[in-house]
Amino acid sequence: MVQYNFKNITVVPNGKDFIDIILSRTQRQTPTVVHKGYAISRLRQFYMRKVKYTQTNYYDKLSTIIDEFPRLDDIHPFYGDLLHVLYNKDHYKLALGQINTARNLISKIAKDYVRLLKYGDSLYRCKCLKVAALGRMCTVIKRVAPSLAYLEQIRQHMARLPSIDPNTRTILICGYPNVGKSSFINKITRADVDVQPYAFTTKSLFVGHTDYKYLRYQVIDTPGILDRPFEDRNIIEMCSITALAHLRAAVLFFLDISGSCGYTIAQQAALFHSIKSLFMNKPLTIVCNKTDLQPLEGISEEDKKLVMEMKAEAMKTVIGQGGEPTDDQGVLLTMSTLTEDGVIAVKNAACERLLDQRVEIKMKSKKINDCLNRFHVAIPKPRDQKERPPCIPQAVLEAKAKQAAEKEKRKTEKDLENENGGAGVYSASLKKNYILANDEWKEDVLPEILDGHNVYDFIDPDILQRLEELEQEEGLRQAEEVDDDFEMDGKELTPEEQQALAEIRKKKSLLIQQHRIKKSTAESRPIVPRKFDKDKQFTTRRMGRQLSALGLDPSKAIDRARSRSRGRKRERSPDNECGDAMDIDVDTPNKKLRMRSRSQSRSVSRPPGEVVPGEGFKDSAQKVKAQKLAKKSSKKRNKDARRGEADRVIPTLKPKHLFSGKRSTGKTDRR
Amino acid sequence: MRIEKCWFCSSTIYPGHGIQFVRNDAKIFRFCRSKCHKNFKMKRNPRKVKWTKAYRRLHGKDMTQDSTFEFERKRNRPERYDRNLTENTLKAIKTIDKVRSRREAKHIETRKKGKKAQLMREAVKELEQSISLVKAPSVLKEDKSYTLPKIKVKVSQEEAKNQPMEE
Repeated sequence: MVQYNFKNITVVPNGKDFIDIILSRTQRQTPTVVHKGYAISRLRQFYMRKVKYTQTNYYDKLSTIIDEFPRLDDIHPFYGDLLHVLYNKDHYKLALGQINTARNLISKIAKDYVRLLKYGDSLYRCKCLKVAALGRMCTVIKRVAPSLAYLEQIRQHMARLPSIDPNTRTILICGYPNVGKSSFINKITRADVDVQPYAFTTKSLFVGHTDYKYLRYQVIDTPGILDRPFEDRNIIEMCSITALAHLRAAVLFFLDISGSCGYTIAQQAALFHSIKSLFMNKPLTIVCNKTDLQPLEGISEEDKKLVMEMKAEAMKTVIGQGGEPTDDQGVLLTMSTLTEDGVIAVKNAACERLLDQRVEIKMKSKKINDCLNRFHVAIPKPRDQKERPPCIPQAVLEAKAKQAAEKEKRKTEKDLENENGGAGVYSASLKKNYILANDEWKEDVLPEILDGHNVYDFIDPDILQRLEELEQEEGLRQAEEVDDDFEMDGKELTPEEQQALAEIRKKKSLLIQQHRIKKSTAESRPIVPRKFDKDKQFTTRRMGRQLSALGLDPSKAIDRARSRSRGRKRERSPDNECGDAMDIDVDTPNKKLRMRSRSQSRSVSRPPGEVVPGEGFKDSAQKVKAQKLAKKSSKKRNKDARRGEADRVIPTLKPKHLFSGKRSTGKTDRR
Repeated sequence: MRIEKCWFCSSTIYPGHGIQFVRNDAKIFRFCRSKCHKNFKMKRNPRKVKWTKAYRRLHGKDMTQDSTFEFERKRNRPERYDRNLTENTLKAIKTIDKVRSRREAKHIETRKKGKKAQLMREAVKELEQSISLVKAPSVLKEDKSYTLPKIKVKVSQEEAKNQPMEE
């Protein structure tokens, strides 16, 4: 609520700053680019927008100022008066009024210039109009700048006012300067008010809070009041007077018995009497402070009389509360803030009286009746005078007593621990209280895992029985197995058959291997007819071997093959030479013939380019070219001393002469 | 401390080994080693992966039903400790283990026995069909048995010397 908290008022900017803020905002938030080539309506719109924008901003800001500052008539009279005392109501109102007029003026200026802009016919004219409008608005603000400064000062001061709630329970402390008001508030609340030997240490109101009977009380410390006519009072005193006047609070009037404040009791009494009109309807307590310096009994007679007069006055405020003739309790009290003697008593007394008064008022008001109707305390009517105290059976009382005794006697685990060396040394035996069939088993360690099984899974009360059954079953099974074993001797192959099978399998695997080789090299092998067989695979000797392995006699087949394979020429020539010789010597043929045949059966080295029919070359030219190509491809490798195509060994991976040093020119990507 | 079973391969997981994976539906998967874990992450079905126990049981390679499996059951109600019972249990575990392993071996043996007859049949058929690779049909007509013919080669003396090298 505005009443309590003036801290939420926005900052009022300086006149110059205000203008700067608004103008820079206009500059930023409205379009800035315009050319004289634009359509005239667009130009007019552009400048009108700027004027309107500036006016709107000024209006908004000034409105917030006007709204946020409190209207002195609308707030609680206490605050109203306080603000008046501090800031002068008229001045305040004037300042706000000036702000208001400024706002209206600005609105009018904007309206006028917008109307003129509607008829601007060139860029330059519109621009001048806009400049004029903004200029006038800013001058208005410049004129109002002192008010703004004043309002800013007020705002800062208001923010620092203590937040006093005028409606809650309040205790007001008043009296001459230096009597001990601030020390008292320091004692009973958490407030930290300056306490100094000079007068008017406290220059404004201070608030503290204290508790009594679960309720919160505000305690307000006021600056000291001097005994002067009302008109002569200064602002500081006026603060306290305002507080006294407007707050419905319990008043503690402080009296310095010892006179060490610099004023006599007579003067203080005079003050009392001059402001006693302000104590109307407020529970008043007279507090005699500084009793450590001068006890109440030790003062002079006249002073005592004055004090009694004051007490009598205070009594008047007591009367009217359901008739309590026992008055002394709350009206005149002594204490000493230095020794803290009686401080609490004073506080309690003041709080009690205030509470009573507030309750009384509430009871008298109409609102309370609604509440009263809602609750009703039922008390049973006593039917006779017999006393009936609560009845507790004897057994219960005894049990309670015994329990109490036991609690003291029983030894706890904690005690045990402490006896045996403390927390780190002693570890409690958790198995102590186990309930087992045999107490010796308490400390047994049970293995949890055995041979890859969890032991807990096997534990069963009838495991022995089941184990027996299992063993019986196993015995039976084993007997059956022995019988089974005899049956399974089936047929077996004879050793010769086995050998034959092995041979068959070997031969088959050989065939398969050969076929696979042939298949994989089919692409790269030349397709040559069998008669040009270069490797001399297909010989009669071979055929003879294979046939005899099968069990056949190969001689006839060999002869036939050999007779066919001989070329006619060769056969003829020895015939022609010695036809008769053949007839004579069948078994020992001509030596020449023998020599020739022998030499022909040996391999003869051929000239390099000659084509052997089994090789697959078309003619000798092709063969020669093929040989040349083969030589060419291996030349380079041989030069590098490589063993073959696949030899990619690098003897030294990083030879130093290639990897060290910089190059003057050229790349280093070849190592 | 409990020994758990790997979800994938069903081997035992000793304490301190493997990884446990808890899915959002609170099902716990335990793995004995990263091989099983990675297979699981690849969403492979253990019933289709040859080396797991699940596969072997499903395809009848290993014993599935036996009374020895009844002994090892997770019981949720704890029994009160009894020293004699525990002693007996520990001894029983050993015998039960022996029995179980013997039975498993028997199972595998019986499984493998059936192969012999088939092999025999195959051998006989092969002999019958392919004997001509090692024995000429004319020789076979004379001598019906499957004995291999003795090699008789008429060679001159020189060639006899070379023969061992060539063959």
